[in-house]
Amino acid sequence: MRFQAAPALGLLLPALVFLPLVALLPGAVHGGGWPLIAAFGMAALQPSFTPALVANALHGIAITLAIALWSWLLSMAIGLIAAVFSSPTVTTALCGCRWPAHWLRRLLAIPRSLHELLWGLILLQLIGLHPAVAVLAIAIPYGALVARVLSDQLESLDQKPFQALQAAGVAAPAALFSALGPSLLPGLLSYGGYRFECALRSATLLGVFGLGGIGADLRLSLQSLQFNEAWTSLWALALVMFSMEQLIALWRGRWVQGRHLLILLGCLLLLLFPAANLLDLQWQVLLNPWRLLPADQLFQLQGWWQPWPQLISSTVLLTITAALAAFAATPLLLLLICPWPWLQLLLRAFGLFARLMPPPLTALLLLFVLKPGLLPAAIALAFHNAGILGRLFLEGLESQDPRPEQALWAAGVPRRRALLMARFNGLATSYMAYGAYRADVILRETVVVGLVGVGGLGAVLLEALSSFAWAELLPVLVVYALLTLLGEELADRYRRSLLFNHTQLGGVSTPQLELLPRGVPGPA
Amino acid sequence: MLELRGICVPGRQRPRLNNLSFSLASGERVALLGASGAGKSTLLAVANGLIKPTAGVVYWHGEAAANGGRRLRQQARIGTLWQDLRLVEQLTVQQSLNCGRLAAWPWHLVLLNLLIPLETSACSKVLAQVELTADLLPVPIIQLSGGQRQRIALGRLLRQGADLLLADEPLAQLDPPLAAKLLNLLLELGSAPRALLMSLHRPDLLQGFDRVLGLRCGELVFDTHPARISASQLQDLYESDQHKSDQT
Repeated sequence: MRFQAAPALGLLLPALVFLPLVALLPGAVHGGGWPLIAAFGMAALQPSFTPALVANALHGIAITLAIALWSWLLSMAIGLIAAVFSSPTVTTALCGCRWPAHWLRRLLAIPRSLHELLWGLILLQLIGLHPAVAVLAIAIPYGALVARVLSDQLESLDQKPFQALQAAGVAAPAALFSALGPSLLPGLLSYGGYRFECALRSATLLGVFGLGGIGADLRLSLQSLQFNEAWTSLWALALVMFSMEQLIALWRGRWVQGRHLLILLGCLLLLLFPAANLLDLQWQVLLNPWRLLPADQLFQLQGWWQPWPQLISSTVLLTITAALAAFAATPLLLLLICPWPWLQLLLRAFGLFARLMPPPLTALLLLFVLKPGLLPAAIALAFHNAGILGRLFLEGLESQDPRPEQALWAAGVPRRRALLMARFNGLATSYMAYGAYRADVILRETVVVGLVGVGGLGAVLLEALSSFAWAELLPVLVVYALLTLLGEELADRYRRSLLFNHTQLGGVSTPQLELLPRGVPGPA
Repeated sequence: MLELRGICVPGRQRPRLNNLSFSLASGERVALLGASGAGKSTLLAVANGLIKPTAGVVYWHGEAAANGGRRLRQQARIGTLWQDLRLVEQLTVQQSLNCGRLAAWPWHLVLLNLLIPLETSACSKVLAQVELTADLLPVPIIQLSGGQRQRIALGRLLRQGADLLLADEPLAQLDPPLAAKLLNLLLELGSAPRALLMSLHRPDLLQGFDRVLGLRCGELVFDTHPARISASQLQDLYESDQHKSDQT
């Protein structure tokens, strides 16, 4: 007997996580709350159309979009500049040494390690409640992430044209710009489009925690059980998110080239001014003296006495459970429904809803029927991320060659088996690589479901920030950051080894899945 | 074994198949000749059930093409060797050969085969039939040469246990010695109790076939023994088709 696991198994095995989840479910249900869930479901068909409410929802969406636009643009600008100077190729060309790039890379790991919600809550303490807080909270970690991705891409580009220009006596900055710029542009555009989608989701999430926009309205409506009002916001958000996704798909596709690109960038720049007005952005606020956190409490030694094994294991368990469930949900559902194409439309609509619903709000809804703990937190995180992973999975599946599957149909193989053997095997490696990246994102996101009593590092962090327990804040923040950096390193190694082995075997990559997380993978 | 009656498949500018009828008995090896766009691939796709005709009936073993589970059972007895092979590149040779058994196996074997490739001795036997050695069984398809892949695709049909073999221009991209070898293999495998229907571009390879069907613009223009085809018939088949294609 010889084990030779086919890639498609990698899509199915994570689904085993549903067995313990389903087994634990009866014990986690607290009995009441089902009528509330039913009322929430029914309200989807009867959203409130009160003019004042609709106007409020539109204003909330405009604020969220404005936050997303500004934070996205700032993060791309920060990311691009930091990427250039954290690329060893660039620093070697400019000053003949690699160490500035290596040190900048290490430095960028710090802002990247904290979730935007934590940045938001910390900046809220330092600056006070101001629209610039939400913008900065997203721009700081995103900028560091963009820097890493683009710097990886810069390093993976063919360096020969650059070396040829240098050998011809062209100055280093001009040679870098001419030789590497055009090759970097397609990746930059594609990844930039994806980051805007992420910024929109983050802006909605920050709203849930009181930093403005549609998220705040949603949380208020749900907490006051005004489900019809909540659905007004949700439908409006769904419409905006769907339109944005379609626009970004065009942006990332072949449409945006040359003249079109300049027109689009011009439109975006013009939008920045009304967006700034809407947010009432006053950047001089950042120059005012910041309210510093009390250093005497912040550095107290007693804060370091925490039940670390329990906190870390809860966070890791939550991450693994949510990541496996989010990863396996769409392949499993698609396998079940593939004989009925119309159900796939339903799956896509379900995915859109999952993407637009911030995890803390899903967790709040789940608390109507489930006891606080790991289960509602894991389901909420898995639900949101399944929407994101599912969309990429379905897009990737559509780009797969359909002919091997058709050949199996023609040989009398039923649809499910043909899908599993043909397109699932074709897509599995790219999807697993993206899943590894998503697990790393989920680890950071564990903080956003801290409010449902899951008991991990995220919960302690939120608790420390909201109750001004400064002595606890710094140690937990440090351990959380170290854990996310370790998770990032592990996910990155796994992803690189997967894609490296895949390309070594002559495999064809699936660009929309691979480009997103960390740029074009290199064998290093 | 296979009968097509009054088959019509519409196309954009002209019908891809127009009122086409013919039958194929067990043990018969039939070649399908015609220029590009004459409807050869469409005819094979109708025969294996991938395309449903808008008019006409397909009979497999005297039974009209069915729907649902019965249709799958009918299709499981028809094996197609595609011009582009359509193998799943990510699987090993043994898993690919076992793709021929997917329609017959229960789900647990389908899943188990993804972890531990099954039925090693049967796969080795099939490899020997297509003149390959068993040491290729654990090799991923992606690492094989073009000729080896062609044989693996043929081996998959043998694992399927198909009694009607359809082949869509399988020799088109092969060098002459390899093409001759594969043709001999196909003719051997297509003898009774099986049958073979194979589309071809080269009239010089017709020896060994029992019948030749000539297709032009989706219509059957001759159905005869290879020895009885005249040069003018062949010229007419290709030139007229080219002329009509140019006109459209």
